[in-house]
Amino acid sequence: MIFAVLVPLLIACFIPLLSKMKHRIHTGIFVFFVPLAIFLYFVRYIGENFTPVRETVNWIPSMGINFDFYLDGLSLLFVLLISGIGALVVLYSIYYLDKQERLGQFYVYLLMFMTAMLGVVLSDNVFVLYTFWELTSISSFLLIGYWHFKERSRYGALKSMMITIFGGLSMLGGFVLLTVVTGTTSIQGMIDQTDTILNSSYLPLILILVLLGAFTKSAQFPFHIWLPDAMEAPTPVSAYLHSATMVKAGIFLVARFSPIFSTYEWFFIIVSLVGILTLCWASYMAVRQTDLKAILAFSTISQLGMIMAMLGFGTQAAVFAAVFHILSHATFKGSLFMIAGIIDHETGTRDIRKLGGLMTLMPISATLALFGTFSMAGVPLPFLNGFYSKELFFGSTLGLDGNILSQAIPYLAVLGSIFTFVYSMYFFFGVFTGPKKLDQLPKKPHEAPIGMHLSPIILVLGVIVIGIWPNLLNGSFLYHAASAVNPATTYYEVSFWHGFTYPPLLMSLAVVAVGTALYLTRRKWETVYGVLPGRLSLNKAYDGLMKRFDTYSDSLTNYYMTGSLKNYMAIILGATFLVTAGVMLYTGGFTISFDNLAEVTIIEVAIILAMIIAAVATIFINHNLAAVLVAGIVGYGVAMLFVIYRAPDLALTQFVVETITVALFLLCFYHLPKLRKRKESARSKWKNASIAISFGAMMTLIGISTHSSRWFDSISEYFLETSYKLGGGDNVVNVILVDMRGLDTLFEIAVLGIAALAIFSLIKWKKNKGEAD
Amino acid sequence: MSNLAVLPILIPLIAAITLVFFNGNVTVSRVLTRLFSLVSLGAALYIAWHAMENGTIILETGDWAAPYGIILVVDRLAALLIVTTNLVAAACAFYAPHAGLGKKEYYYFYPFFFFLITGVSGAFITGDIFNLFVFFEVLLMASYALIVLGGDKVQLRESIKYLLINLFSSMLFVTCIAFLYAVVGTLNMAHIAERVQEVDQQGILTTVGILFFFVFATKAALFPLYYWLPHSYIQPNPVISALFGALLTKVGIYSILRVFSLIFVHRLDITHELFIWIAILSMIFGVIGALSTNNIKLIIAYNIIPAIGFIIMGIGVFNQDALSGSVYYLVHDMIIKAALFLIVGAIAYVAGTSDLRKMGGLIHYYPALGWLLFIAAFVLAGIPPFSGFIGKLQLLQGAFGDGEIILAITALITSLLILYSIMKIFIRGFWGEKDETAGFGTKSVKGMIAPIAFLLALSVLLGVGAEFFYPIVASVAQSLLDPQIYIDSVLKE
Repeated sequence: MIFAVLVPLLIACFIPLLSKMKHRIHTGIFVFFVPLAIFLYFVRYIGENFTPVRETVNWIPSMGINFDFYLDGLSLLFVLLISGIGALVVLYSIYYLDKQERLGQFYVYLLMFMTAMLGVVLSDNVFVLYTFWELTSISSFLLIGYWHFKERSRYGALKSMMITIFGGLSMLGGFVLLTVVTGTTSIQGMIDQTDTILNSSYLPLILILVLLGAFTKSAQFPFHIWLPDAMEAPTPVSAYLHSATMVKAGIFLVARFSPIFSTYEWFFIIVSLVGILTLCWASYMAVRQTDLKAILAFSTISQLGMIMAMLGFGTQAAVFAAVFHILSHATFKGSLFMIAGIIDHETGTRDIRKLGGLMTLMPISATLALFGTFSMAGVPLPFLNGFYSKELFFGSTLGLDGNILSQAIPYLAVLGSIFTFVYSMYFFFGVFTGPKKLDQLPKKPHEAPIGMHLSPIILVLGVIVIGIWPNLLNGSFLYHAASAVNPATTYYEVSFWHGFTYPPLLMSLAVVAVGTALYLTRRKWETVYGVLPGRLSLNKAYDGLMKRFDTYSDSLTNYYMTGSLKNYMAIILGATFLVTAGVMLYTGGFTISFDNLAEVTIIEVAIILAMIIAAVATIFINHNLAAVLVAGIVGYGVAMLFVIYRAPDLALTQFVVETITVALFLLCFYHLPKLRKRKESARSKWKNASIAISFGAMMTLIGISTHSSRWFDSISEYFLETSYKLGGGDNVVNVILVDMRGLDTLFEIAVLGIAALAIFSLIKWKKNKGEAD
Repeated sequence: MSNLAVLPILIPLIAAITLVFFNGNVTVSRVLTRLFSLVSLGAALYIAWHAMENGTIILETGDWAAPYGIILVVDRLAALLIVTTNLVAAACAFYAPHAGLGKKEYYYFYPFFFFLITGVSGAFITGDIFNLFVFFEVLLMASYALIVLGGDKVQLRESIKYLLINLFSSMLFVTCIAFLYAVVGTLNMAHIAERVQEVDQQGILTTVGILFFFVFATKAALFPLYYWLPHSYIQPNPVISALFGALLTKVGIYSILRVFSLIFVHRLDITHELFIWIAILSMIFGVIGALSTNNIKLIIAYNIIPAIGFIIMGIGVFNQDALSGSVYYLVHDMIIKAALFLIVGAIAYVAGTSDLRKMGGLIHYYPALGWLLFIAAFVLAGIPPFSGFIGKLQLLQGAFGDGEIILAITALITSLLILYSIMKIFIRGFWGEKDETAGFGTKSVKGMIAPIAFLLALSVLLGVGAEFFYPIVASVAQSLLDPQIYIDSVLKE
């Protein structure tokens, strides 16, 4: 199993080689066999007696992250969709993509996606699932941006990435919480601990985080806005990723976690509501679109909403209907995308306003589209799988217990389905009937080569076969998928006729009747779009948000990144003061003790007073020379104190340093500009003064406190004792410097060396004007 | 006792001194630089292996017994960081001749380079708080030298801010050491830890600890102390930026990790609670900074700040998962930051500008560079299976496990915005039409690609091969949670 998942990625490594000979053999021909082989490998699992299969390959066992692959009915359904539709899409792409295109890259991304998607639906380990999940987002990003010379492609790629990775990250958060709560990284293990999860105080957060992942990926309202823009991708990609497989990852996720959440009331409320809202809103919006692929994109969104809603209901009937519809949707929507691609390919446009009357010119496409659109609309005919889906859906909306939401659901379902009917008709009749507008088309239309029709024909055959024998796959295949979502599922029989009073049939008939009326009169009510959504555009919200990221971050950052050293210092000192002083107050850190204090002599007082006066004075002096000399007083004062406290070495050093510094300054003055009196507002002066004084006061208080908290003997006693014995020197300071702490001295010398070298190189650079010598 | 511990500082020091004498001869300098960087890397690997196998390596310098003399301590954490430092240094050493340093190579570039490595390595292995200050000085002085090297006006203007702020924080550092010494009467970190523990970190000690935190936070560029960083880091040559971005701030955050897992661990309710808030603010403000600009170098420079936020997040949460997350993230970020600075350096070099608005369609000329950036973006944002993910996952597990919901969610949102800030460069700089008039494609990236690819390969390896690294990191985290291990290894030898 793991090999089957990784095969596409492995083959992808050879694609750059194979694509070298693309002018002789289209690269897609090689690629075609990959999904086909995977399909054949997995199709053998279909059967009445299917039992889940598990396979583990270790990756990071110490963190509980392993390739735990778990193939149950639900995974099998998705695996077959991914590989089956994958094979058909690759077949289609061979005819769709010209050999001039960068085929190598295209197929590498596509194969990468296949591995990723197979990984998502087979992983039992949440973190491996997440890994593959992000990989689907990344490959989707690359495929949408495939024609990246187009501005719209770049826009669509970024948008899809931002929204789906946002969801992915929040899902990751949910997963981490789930592992924290249950102590396992296995989804099946979590299902075993459903009670623990349901009793956890994190439950609402977990649910929201996981659902955000599902809703963004499956383009649920209000996150659906990325999907229409993803249509910039080449059509095979739209048919594959953005209709049949990747966007169903969110559906898969909700289905996978249904056994855990299904008894939690908010799961029902959120998922049903979001799903049904998405169904209504997107089908309503689809009618307004003029681009064929945009119609299909909104249609996909609404169908995904419908499946999501059914998973939210969570009843046996609903879950079975959801599973049934996943399959139906893949067949009719896949074929319709391919037809849209064919029309685009042959006429040069996808704008429905320029199309019309293509029935006679493209009869095969028209026939295929007829089956696709009518199945999508749920027209009650005994050879369309879409009708059964629709009827099962209506059936599942009835008889949900309890609250006001449950009672509204059937009406909303019918409402959404009416618009579904309208855009389906709009799609078919708008393109294939009516007057021909050949003069508006960039190309002279004619029927596409049969190779291009092969894939949609196979899909439409699927529509019809399931339509005629609706129970064909139920026992051996769909039942297992449904029971993985709702373990209580029993075998489910689908039939065409239940009698005239069967409520779902009445709902279907109502949809057809109202839908037809609305379709015929759509010119009259089109103005409603000016009111709703009108100016309320989610796209604008997204664009505004992204723009605000740029402008607000810019103005905020410029606000504090002033480039002024004084401001930076004010913030650093201010923040340090506030927090440190706060902590000192809070912990009661200040102590003062007058024990062990030496006597203060008049000389000391005089020196310190002089130092204070000098330090303060430097602030007010506006003359270079004077400022340096006055600052020098502070330094010499320190040196004097060293003398008084019997540290002649230090005093000597300090005198030397002070003298050299002053001398150096005087030398530098020749090159420095004159100090000017700085013009500052009184307010800013007060601010600076208060920061400086508070910081200084705080440091003084800490100094006093530390001095008053001498709780231990200092290690210096040891130095005094051993200086001569072990160090061989009478002068302890010298022994410390050259022996006991020789390492410090060595590297302090290094520091001076570096400084000297740096100054030397700066001067040399200046002298040589940056030339090598 | 083993003299091995001195090698990580001795080899680069000797390299630096040797290279001073070959300054005039660039060919020899380059060869020697590569040679020394590989020798140093080899030594680091051997030392790390030794430390993993036989436990912490201790060296009592000058044979002065602990706690009186200066002790070098190579525990697993230090060993990990030494190896990472040398990996980054080696990549930079190989990149440097192609980085367009021009005449700067004649102005003691390579000696400064090795002095910087000396300081960084020294900071990681010293077990003495004053000696830590000395190594800070070494690395800072080397960084001053590098940042002003061949300075034009703008560079010098930004350098002076960098210099003054760091000078101030060095002063504060020494003052803090004096305060601490006044209370505990010792400089050996293990000994300090023992004594602080003895008095249960009472009285003024927590305040002194916080002051230490601010010293290190200034170096580490945490909120609100990072103002000096972005503009000064982008001034020098990309190799230097890479070294700074990868190593300097990490020394600061390492010091916080060490000091607040070893010494000041008795008032977690104050110190580590503060870290959590600082982590949140650093992530938010840092990533906002990264979004605010069209200068690609600046985007990367700002991205240092949220990364440091991630690391401090784990220190704040302070449990097994969070700490191993911090350590993992620390190693990961050293590598990826170096890689990113080298990448944007190469981009700016070939595009002739760092302004994103003046770029486009570079992928047609430099596909390898483009894809390296693409991968780097995902590595940085912590998308699996790369190194950033492993660290982030552990951090999240630690944070959620402790109920730090706001922190964890901030981290998740930050990841998204980090990804956006880098993908902006890819989408706007690399995608787009092939523009023949812009004059791209004339410069070669030969010699730049290999070091970048090497660093990215390490990132991938750290992610995919996490099973090999994770147990090491987990044991580091374990020993960080139990300071007695460090204390015993130093004092009970």
